[in-house]
Amino acid sequence: MDGLALIAPVIVPLLGAAIAAMLRERPIAQRTVMEISVVTMALASLLLFLKVKDGYELIMAFGSWIRPVAISFRADALGATLSLVTGLIGAAGMIYARADVAARRRRSGFDPLFLSLLAAVNGAFLTGDLFNMYVWFELMLVCALGLITLDRRKAQIDGAVRYAALSMMGATFILVGIAFIVAEVGTLEFRDLRLTLAARDLSLSIVTGGALMLAGFALKAGLFPLFFWLPASYHTAPIVASAVFAGLLTKAGFYACLRVLVTLFGMDMLPGFPVAIGVIAGLTMVVCAGCALAQTDLRRLFSFHIIAQVGYMAMGLSLASLIGLQAAIFYIVHSIIVQTNLFFAAGAIYRADGSFDLRTAGGISRSQPLLAGMVAVPILSLSGIPPFSGFWAKLTVLRAGFEQGMMWLPAAALFAGLLTIISMGSVWANGFWKSRAGGRIARPVPTSMFWAIATLSAATLAIGLFPGFLWEVAGIAAHALELGGTR
Amino acid sequence: MNLVYALMASVIVACSIYMILSRNLVRLLLGMSMLATGVNIVIFMSGNTQSPRPPLIEEGAIVLTDAADPLPQALILTAIVIGFALTLVLATLTLRAWRAERTLNTGQMRGAEDLGDPTRPGKREG
Amino acid sequence: MLIWLILIAFLGSCLAGPVSRAADRWAGWLLALLPAGLFVTLIKISPVMERGWVLGDGLNWAPYLDLYLTFRLDGFSFLMTLLITGVGTLVVIYSGAYLSEKSLKDRGRFFTLILLFMTAMLGAVLADNLIVMLVFWEATSILSFLLIGFDGRSARARRSALMSLYTTAAGGLALLAAILLIGQALGTYSLGEVRARADELAASPLIVPILAGLMIGAFTKSAQFPFHFWLPNAMQAPTPASAFLHSATMVKLGIYLLARFEPVIAAVPYGRWVLVTVGGATMLIAAFQALRAEGFKTALAYSTIASLGILVTLIGLTGPAASVAMVGFLFAHALYKAALFFCAGSVLHATGLQNLRALGGLIRLLPLTGVATVLASLSMAGLPPFFGFISKEFLFQAQLESTSALVSLAVIVLVNAAMVGVAAVITLRPFFMGRGKISEVKHGETPGLVMPPLVLALAGLFLSLDPAWVSSNVLRPAAVAVYGEAIEVKVHLWHGITPMLMLSFVVVIIGALIAWYWKSIHLRLRKSRVFEVVDFDRYFETTLETLHLLSARLTGLVQHGDLRTYLWVVFAAVTALLLFAWNAAGLMPRLPQVDALRPAPAVVALVGMAGALAAARARGLLTAMIATGLVGFAVAVGFMFNGAPDLALTQFTVEALIVVLLTALLLAVPLAAPPTRTNTERRFDALIATVIGVVLFVALVDMTSASHGGAISTFMGNQSYLAAKGHNVVNVILVDFRGFDTLGETVVIAMSAVLAWSLLGPRLREQVWSHERRSPFILQLTAPVFFWLLLITSLWILLRGHDQPGGGFIGGLVAALAFAMIALAHGLERARRTLRIHPVVVVGIGMFLALLSGFPGMQDGSAYLTHLWYEGDALKLSTTMVFDLGVYIVVLGGVLAFLFGLQRGAEK
Repeated sequence: MDGLALIAPVIVPLLGAAIAAMLRERPIAQRTVMEISVVTMALASLLLFLKVKDGYELIMAFGSWIRPVAISFRADALGATLSLVTGLIGAAGMIYARADVAARRRRSGFDPLFLSLLAAVNGAFLTGDLFNMYVWFELMLVCALGLITLDRRKAQIDGAVRYAALSMMGATFILVGIAFIVAEVGTLEFRDLRLTLAARDLSLSIVTGGALMLAGFALKAGLFPLFFWLPASYHTAPIVASAVFAGLLTKAGFYACLRVLVTLFGMDMLPGFPVAIGVIAGLTMVVCAGCALAQTDLRRLFSFHIIAQVGYMAMGLSLASLIGLQAAIFYIVHSIIVQTNLFFAAGAIYRADGSFDLRTAGGISRSQPLLAGMVAVPILSLSGIPPFSGFWAKLTVLRAGFEQGMMWLPAAALFAGLLTIISMGSVWANGFWKSRAGGRIARPVPTSMFWAIATLSAATLAIGLFPGFLWEVAGIAAHALELGGTR
Repeated sequence: MNLVYALMASVIVACSIYMILSRNLVRLLLGMSMLATGVNIVIFMSGNTQSPRPPLIEEGAIVLTDAADPLPQALILTAIVIGFALTLVLATLTLRAWRAERTLNTGQMRGAEDLGDPTRPGKREG
Repeated sequence: MLIWLILIAFLGSCLAGPVSRAADRWAGWLLALLPAGLFVTLIKISPVMERGWVLGDGLNWAPYLDLYLTFRLDGFSFLMTLLITGVGTLVVIYSGAYLSEKSLKDRGRFFTLILLFMTAMLGAVLADNLIVMLVFWEATSILSFLLIGFDGRSARARRSALMSLYTTAAGGLALLAAILLIGQALGTYSLGEVRARADELAASPLIVPILAGLMIGAFTKSAQFPFHFWLPNAMQAPTPASAFLHSATMVKLGIYLLARFEPVIAAVPYGRWVLVTVGGATMLIAAFQALRAEGFKTALAYSTIASLGILVTLIGLTGPAASVAMVGFLFAHALYKAALFFCAGSVLHATGLQNLRALGGLIRLLPLTGVATVLASLSMAGLPPFFGFISKEFLFQAQLESTSALVSLAVIVLVNAAMVGVAAVITLRPFFMGRGKISEVKHGETPGLVMPPLVLALAGLFLSLDPAWVSSNVLRPAAVAVYGEAIEVKVHLWHGITPMLMLSFVVVIIGALIAWYWKSIHLRLRKSRVFEVVDFDRYFETTLETLHLLSARLTGLVQHGDLRTYLWVVFAAVTALLLFAWNAAGLMPRLPQVDALRPAPAVVALVGMAGALAAARARGLLTAMIATGLVGFAVAVGFMFNGAPDLALTQFTVEALIVVLLTALLLAVPLAAPPTRTNTERRFDALIATVIGVVLFVALVDMTSASHGGAISTFMGNQSYLAAKGHNVVNVILVDFRGFDTLGETVVIAMSAVLAWSLLGPRLREQVWSHERRSPFILQLTAPVFFWLLLITSLWILLRGHDQPGGGFIGGLVAALAFAMIALAHGLERARRTLRIHPVVVVGIGMFLALLSGFPGMQDGSAYLTHLWYEGDALKLSTTMVFDLGVYIVVLGGVLAFLFGLQRGAEK
């Protein structure tokens, strides 16, 4: 049973994807398969989370070989928590897709791509093997490209080209980095890597491997100055896809940064890394929150915020302290839920207004106050307003920063926070208060969109009202991460 | 010999990067494909033992003796296949991009970045 | 008890929407029961306050975050809560009447917001845990934002709302930083403890940022110079909200905070000085602006700012009298200013006019409002026997007893005189002067409009006539709580002839003169250009515009849309990171052991390098493709030389297929490739490429001396045959030891096939397939033969893979070649018919098989992908074969999806 729970978050959606691919001309059947798979996957993740949240680990070495030889899955509090959140996002996406993904998109392969994407994200969260993690990232890339280009629009193709070119570079860095590490230690399992590397002197190969993997995963996470692919493509995809990307992809990239760097090299990582990541984090926050300010297309605006938020997480990592890691993990969970929800909201505004443009949108707060209320939750949370999850996320990161005696990095974070508030205030004033251009009344939004948004808003609110639970889990996760596995 | 391979990998990677930096999409695609090849050499060099004998257990023997390191080979095989798939995906995108934009110059493809550019007047999309 | 108070307030505000809808016209009166009930409850515990006790209450919220839901009611909080609930009651009643014309929905929204705001205020002044206080503090900012922008259709309202949000949110962030630093310095977030350990905090090295954060937080909230500009704009809110938030309660939060931290501020040498200076500057500017203001509400707003400045100054002054004066003035101000706002609202409601010069003679039309205005104004002017007079006496006493300079006394006198003037003007002008300017009103007085201002104004009168209760139960405990020690508070209307009384007299005289000459002063001030310097509205706008402009520039700079530059920056950044890491580690590359040069592989390597250079330099795309292919083949031969036949075989096949598929692509696109880069760009590209090449070479040199035990490879070599029953170790790794990677890789192919079909396959209503192809007869004749040969070969490669070079992947590629033959000979339509099943479906089947093959082994509790074996005499069967077959099918389907798709796409 444990074994099934451990592989189900990956294998179930993959099986669903296979079946959906076989049913390619039957959209309704595809949808049913997809929904069953997602629900099963989410439940399996929940089970997994309940099993390990108190600090246990579930491990499976595939093929029953001894461990450093075989690829293994290792669910600790960190991986299982993120897998659970992936399940939540998958479920919300599934609900949203009922309204957003019509038969034509399903015939083009939405369901297999969506399911495989979720599987790949779960795979990256649960794997205990460096090279296997690389494979999941490649799968994420292919699925993401497929989802972006689902409608074959010109902008989508163009965005996908940019996404593909830059992302493939990131994958290449990761691969070369792995090669350098393998050359030095000949092993790929995380725990084995930790033990072997700890017993070895630092060499140029190890530093090269570490730096290249940092670069590669930082690109996937969208850190400055490697984020260009994100605002170039996310605003072109179908909204469900954008939303799921927004929540999961960059965070998976950042998770990989955490997992790989901390597991392999310990909390202090390699010489100079904390400083480098700190500088990167500061620039990411300020530059991207700054860019968001001028945006008028909602999806693009939120795209820049996605990146800025990763900067906060990177700040937690750069502190090289347990509480910093804990704060970063807390931040990841909060950010996944909020970012997805914001893109859902953008899609709902599009439904109501027929445009993503803030200059022409408006009036939702009067025509659909309930929806506006639901959307207010992620907006406030992103702005870091209490008592929503973003406030605690920001607070914990800042506190961890102050605890390390940092001043300039928290200052940058606060400045970026102000820019975020300015941007969100303008979103609210323009998208929700202002009358729609031409004075027309906004159209109603499908109920499935509303419920998807409501689900995630409820999660955000729950984290906001009971931050202690997630903070504790994040603490256990940070310990597990720092320890690099117990068995 | 190792140094020769190191040089070969570096030259291939450097040339691929030069090609990738081209604005011609097909050149970029070829560069990506070549880069994957160069990276495979790097992975191959990470093997523990260098031997011209393939890692095949001979008929009658039960263990592998004196052969090339099989692990990097397996990794490369996976990498080749993934690289192959991605090259084809990029080729598909290239074809579509040409059909959609009638140009292969990435500098002139503005489909994505103009969408939602704040300096342009707002327009509705279908 | 305190938690219940807040909880009830919160639940009540949640119910406000439905209740107001149900009660319709009586909603105001009905909903007022909530704050009124809270008010009465508080009054009931006043004896506790009188004894100087402190009530506490707490819950664990998130102990690991140092988050305790602790509340604390002392004298000062008690005063604040009384104001909040008391004024709140009247505001709710007033709102019911004031918003009579709004839709039910809007009214429900307003009541909800107002009551939520009241809840947040209660929480903010009761919280002991600083983080909890911040939570409520920020909530008041957001609710203020929502109330100012209540009429979101109005551009001015939106702008004003944003202005207040940005200002107070910036302050909130500063406050957050300050609170976190306090926690850092003292290890506690309890307000009580921080006050007790003020000296320790003042000695901390973090004190400067802490105080800066606290003060910015307080100054933004309480509209102190230079953050005062948002408050007059906040008058866009419906008047009851202005009365409640922007005069009586929310803007006092900053004062509350400063008063709470007074011991800390006092402990640093510059603390008081900053408060007195900022407060003085604020009240001076606000006093002039109040005289300059045209609108009724605007004048009130500026006078509020001036009062807030006075309060800040009072906190900055030393001595017990300052604390008493602060508390007294805060109380008096809340009473008369809220009343005046109500009156201003009634005038606005009745006439729709704001401008003081346009109003006149309203006393006949709105008699009771006029009476209330007179009473409140007299209190504001500080005339006996009103409460304003008592508070003003304290004010002067504090000023005289304080050690501060006389300059600030002069300022206070001047400002108070201006306040007298303003009070006179806003009473006389709309109500008594200019008779006949207004002949009729849209709305007359209703009980809901009249009762609240009258109650407040009369309270200002009666409380000063019998000050015993209020001074012993409210003011003294509050002053004691602020001052920190027991002090005596004597509240009397008549103290005899004192310096304070003389000052009051002077103030009234000057005030009367100002009122008399108001029109000319007003017009002169309006013409004066001096105020352009302090036009912070404009500065705010400019800042915001600049910020947007900078943001647009920044976007143009980083997200410019040129893929080449993106890639260049990425390469440069990664190289920089790499060099930085090398430098930080301080390591040099290890020198390699030079091994023998083997001629044949060396030549192949040279060919590869030459190919790479040729590809980079090629002008035409075809040349580039051929050169790239050459590199691939050279590397494949290199693999062959180095004991990697599987790699060689795969690389050969892949290169061949890439050439085939890219040829289809190149048929569709122009082959001539005009230069896309300028010469400078080329040089930069060559530079970064060279640098990366060199860096990689150095790293690789180091890598050649890396060595390890190779335990895992050895294990695989040892167990490959014994345990996994395969001779070909590489294949065994692929299907067994690391079969999970292969599974992932198979899904990658499957999904890229789905992508290919989604992009290249026919859309609905599109002609599905192209025509039959006319190809040479000989090809048509031999194609079926080749087809079957290739297909059988592919199966053979698949089956022998476990022991010899081969396997599912290569087998699948060869099988795809078989179908490519048919397509070449007879066109895509025939190839598709030969396949019978759609390529994407094929992919699905293969994926399904590969995934399923991992399950049978799990039946005895083993791990996924544990393979089962059946070994008969003649044949071995195992689940690895199913796995490999799955891979085979996926590759076949995947390649065909691309083949059909690209050829179809190219043919169009």
